[in-house]
Amino acid sequence: MAHKLLSLSEAVRRFSWDGMQYSSGAALPIGADALVFGREMVRAGRRDVHALFHCNSQQLNLLCAADVIGKAECGFSGLEGFGFANGLRRAVESGRVVLEDYSNLSMGLRFLAGALNWPFALATTNIGSDLQYRSAFAPEDYPSRSKIPGVVDPFTGNRYGALSPLRPDVAVVHVTMADPEGNAIILGTEWSRYELSRAAKSLVLVADFIVRTECMRQYPNLVRIPGVIVDAVVYWPFSAWPQASPGVHDGDEAHMRFMNQALATEAGYAEYRERFIDGYRTRAQFRALIGEENVERLTNGPTRFLMDPYRRWIVSEAEIEALEA
Amino acid sequence: MNYTRQEMMAIATGREIRDGELAIFGVGLSMLAGFFAKAHHAPRVRAITEAGIFGATPIGGLPWGVECNRISADAVSFTNAIDALGVLVASGRCDVGIIGAAQLDKFGNVNTTGIWDGDIGPTYRPPRVRLTGSGGANDIAVGCKRYVIMAAHDKKRFVERVDYISSPGYLEGGNARSRYPFPGSGPSAIVTTLGVLRPDPVTKEFLLDGYYAFSSPDEVRAHTGWPLRYSPKLSVVPEPSDAELAALRHVDETGMLRRS
Repeated sequence: MAHKLLSLSEAVRRFSWDGMQYSSGAALPIGADALVFGREMVRAGRRDVHALFHCNSQQLNLLCAADVIGKAECGFSGLEGFGFANGLRRAVESGRVVLEDYSNLSMGLRFLAGALNWPFALATTNIGSDLQYRSAFAPEDYPSRSKIPGVVDPFTGNRYGALSPLRPDVAVVHVTMADPEGNAIILGTEWSRYELSRAAKSLVLVADFIVRTECMRQYPNLVRIPGVIVDAVVYWPFSAWPQASPGVHDGDEAHMRFMNQALATEAGYAEYRERFIDGYRTRAQFRALIGEENVERLTNGPTRFLMDPYRRWIVSEAEIEALEA
Repeated sequence: MNYTRQEMMAIATGREIRDGELAIFGVGLSMLAGFFAKAHHAPRVRAITEAGIFGATPIGGLPWGVECNRISADAVSFTNAIDALGVLVASGRCDVGIIGAAQLDKFGNVNTTGIWDGDIGPTYRPPRVRLTGSGGANDIAVGCKRYVIMAAHDKKRFVERVDYISSPGYLEGGNARSRYPFPGSGPSAIVTTLGVLRPDPVTKEFLLDGYYAFSSPDEVRAHTGWPLRYSPKLSVVPEPSDAELAALRHVDETGMLRRS
């Protein structure tokens, strides 16, 4: 059977490098985002990465604290109800990370433009604000003519803006379930994972469940990422932890706070790294780190029923390990 | 007083939402105000979040974010950012939005990007305090037919000129906003912990339109960083009714608005 399953460490070895343009999806601050890929990038010592994240997540927060990131572009840089992202904040305030701001719509449109190979996407928002006039990447260019340059609507003569397309070297996309060939179903908002998966030069999926292809044949309308565009599939339950994966587990509120608090200082980050990055190697060790009782509690949340129609096709751990071997 | 200042702010904001409207709410206070309106006087409000989550009422407490499981557990449709913020908001279709502000000025321009302690100057530099950035607020400020800004009222926040315009209000005032082909007509109100401000129809400067039973026009002025002018219609905002408080507290079941 042709499959694309790859271990997490091998996926990070093959699909990340210093100075790359790296995108994570969905890059939501409290929802789906494959944090484990970022943890592994920290362990691999990646440097000078240019992050293209739709929004900040605990992953970008961590990568900023760990000095993996040199430049970043995003639409939102906080953690929603969990406040400011301390790791990112420290890195941006000190000038260690240069952060270019857009709005959430603009980031999605830039991925779409990259996917379509358009020269630019039309900005009907962001114009007339400092999102257009101020550029962290070109600080002398004020009011900026290079970040969101003006364009004229040839039909009405109205002035809009041009958004540069994004084509990340690699996108790592969190999906709820994938088959071994990379056909994938997402539960919860798709956010910009459709556009991002098509914009990236290489695409790695990180899945909570591996399911049989029969599942995809039953619900083909729901397969927004078909295997033909996927390079590798990583199986890693709780990859989004402490963030949430709708249908699979809730966010871990205590660890969301704990992690962000730790990232507020160098010493806190060092302790966090020791326990929650260097402190595991395998999926079983990672699960043990979250804690069995905690896993039980988080997986019994209010969205659990969303996964019910698909459970009959879940591939067992033993079968996955046989494929990975 | 049997309610907090934060509760008064949420109720006054919720009163701005009309039944049947297509409405977009952000995380935190704005979602509380929006779902309070739905629970109290606007049962047919069509609420969306910018994550593209449709038909949901939060379960188990206030959602931690626009994509939280507390809202995903009760949805009829999940779509995406371009659908919610582009097709429904930036297009001009959405009736009303609610956004927050770390800093705002007398023309309703909002800064949520960073604090530079004044003018950034001709060359961009990192902020002293990095905030959250725009998120979807810029798209809401440009696209929604009208929107409400919610903010705790203090002098540091209500400034003559924001350090950075993350979301455009009326820019320099007057008809400055019409330089841009924005579908939305701009902020209709600033609702604060001390009162309600509305724009002058011509100058677009925000004037004090209402103060609360526990505040006074002088107090609002003292906490505003520009010389705040009073609307000719200035009056006291009605206190929360028992029904309003009950509806709000049902939505705010974790008591977020009663803490301070």
